[in-house]
Amino acid sequence: MNITEISLGGLASAYLLLIFPLGIILWNRLPILGQTLLAIVRMTLQLLLVGFYLQLVFRQNNYWLTGAWLLIMIGVADLSIIRGCGLKMARFTGPLFVALLAGAGLPLLFLVGLVLKKTFLMEAQYVIPIGGMILGNCLRANIIGIRNFYESLRKNQKSFQHMLGQGASLPEVVRPFLRDACQAALGPTIATIATIGLVALPGMMTGVILGGANPMTAIKYQIMIMIAIFSGTAITVMLAIKLTMKSSFTAWGVLDHRIFKV
Amino acid sequence: MANSNTKVIIDIKDLSISFAGQKIIEAFSLQVAYGEKVTITGRSGAGKSTILRCLQGFMQPEAGSIHIAGKPLTPDTVWAMRASLAYVAQEPDLGTGGVREIIERPFNYRANHSLKANLSRLPEYFEIFNLPLDLLDKEIALLSGGEKQRVALICAILLDRHIFLLDEVASALDQTNYQAVAKYFFSRRDLTVLSVFHEPAKYDFSDRVVELPYYSRGG
Repeated sequence: MNITEISLGGLASAYLLLIFPLGIILWNRLPILGQTLLAIVRMTLQLLLVGFYLQLVFRQNNYWLTGAWLLIMIGVADLSIIRGCGLKMARFTGPLFVALLAGAGLPLLFLVGLVLKKTFLMEAQYVIPIGGMILGNCLRANIIGIRNFYESLRKNQKSFQHMLGQGASLPEVVRPFLRDACQAALGPTIATIATIGLVALPGMMTGVILGGANPMTAIKYQIMIMIAIFSGTAITVMLAIKLTMKSSFTAWGVLDHRIFKV
Repeated sequence: MANSNTKVIIDIKDLSISFAGQKIIEAFSLQVAYGEKVTITGRSGAGKSTILRCLQGFMQPEAGSIHIAGKPLTPDTVWAMRASLAYVAQEPDLGTGGVREIIERPFNYRANHSLKANLSRLPEYFEIFNLPLDLLDKEIALLSGGEKQRVALICAILLDRHIFLLDEVASALDQTNYQAVAKYFFSRRDLTVLSVFHEPAKYDFSDRVVELPYYSRGG
């Protein structure tokens, strides 16, 4: 089995399917026509650009280009997480970058090196899609985890100070908040793992099947990627909170409220 | 002012505190001797609670200094100092969980490991402060303000704290329970108590009353 190449004309005709949503928007006079057209143009341009770049990355298949692509993905994830958490960029960008690098890098090296047994660890064909999937999932989990942690500390300031007053050290005071944040962050991933295959065929499996592979191969890849996502998420959330904590408390052990945007 | 030949345990010098650009406390000084019971009074908003927050290092003064047992309060010393202080709020936020769990929790902190044996005296203190023992099995959220205050006090006593910072602690207590608390502290000459009250009726809690002038507003 091999994948059927989509011709330019074929792709252009796929746009014809847009008649339905656009028709519904026009028919109901929904005020989202401009927004929809813009979204479609953006999607096309963004994916074309990514396509050209990836073509180059895959053709060259070297440390530098693949590494640069991975770092860009991490950087974008980093900024989106901080924005999603309502926190100030300056203090968090660095620590979160390190957390994401470790959280995406460790499972990636493990999979490419030990599971797929590639001698070239930066094989673009594996590193880029798997890295992207790990980071995409880390994004959601980190926004939930980091926001939960700092918001909960802010909301429970009195009981936090009560614990400090009772002689707890900073790690001791933070422990229950860290536990809650990790649970909240990992919960959705665990739920996804538990229902996978039943609710919908996951994107990666769909891709591998479309690529012409046999469904059992697709499933093996899917199991591998789910484990990588789960472990990457856990590493990132834990590290992100631990590393950002260093600059989030004053020398007196009190949460520094300047970390919040509002 | 504490007598010069008694040991000063709390020494506040020229403390000035501003909040949101407004002066709350200006050049406030106070010395409390070891074992002394002192009440700070002043109208609501004069900054009484703010002084207690500063003593715990949860708020930093603009000027002035605080010494506890002869040592200056700094980010380095504050951790050890917090272990000698007990703060009981008007409405203590003790966290969530059962009363027994709340009382036992701080004994799991490394700093308090050696004090675990004190927990055996729990029934004794429940009796002193008129609390029924079956309260231990209740959720903390179901307790009244007065009950929470007494649970917080018992916890602090079991933690061997010797300086008590009481923030309007009698406000939620009826006369009988208030008397029980006052009687206990007067019976312990080794405990230093710095309390803040705005009700004149509660002044009898202490050896000495210090009135705080009103500057603008505060907590």
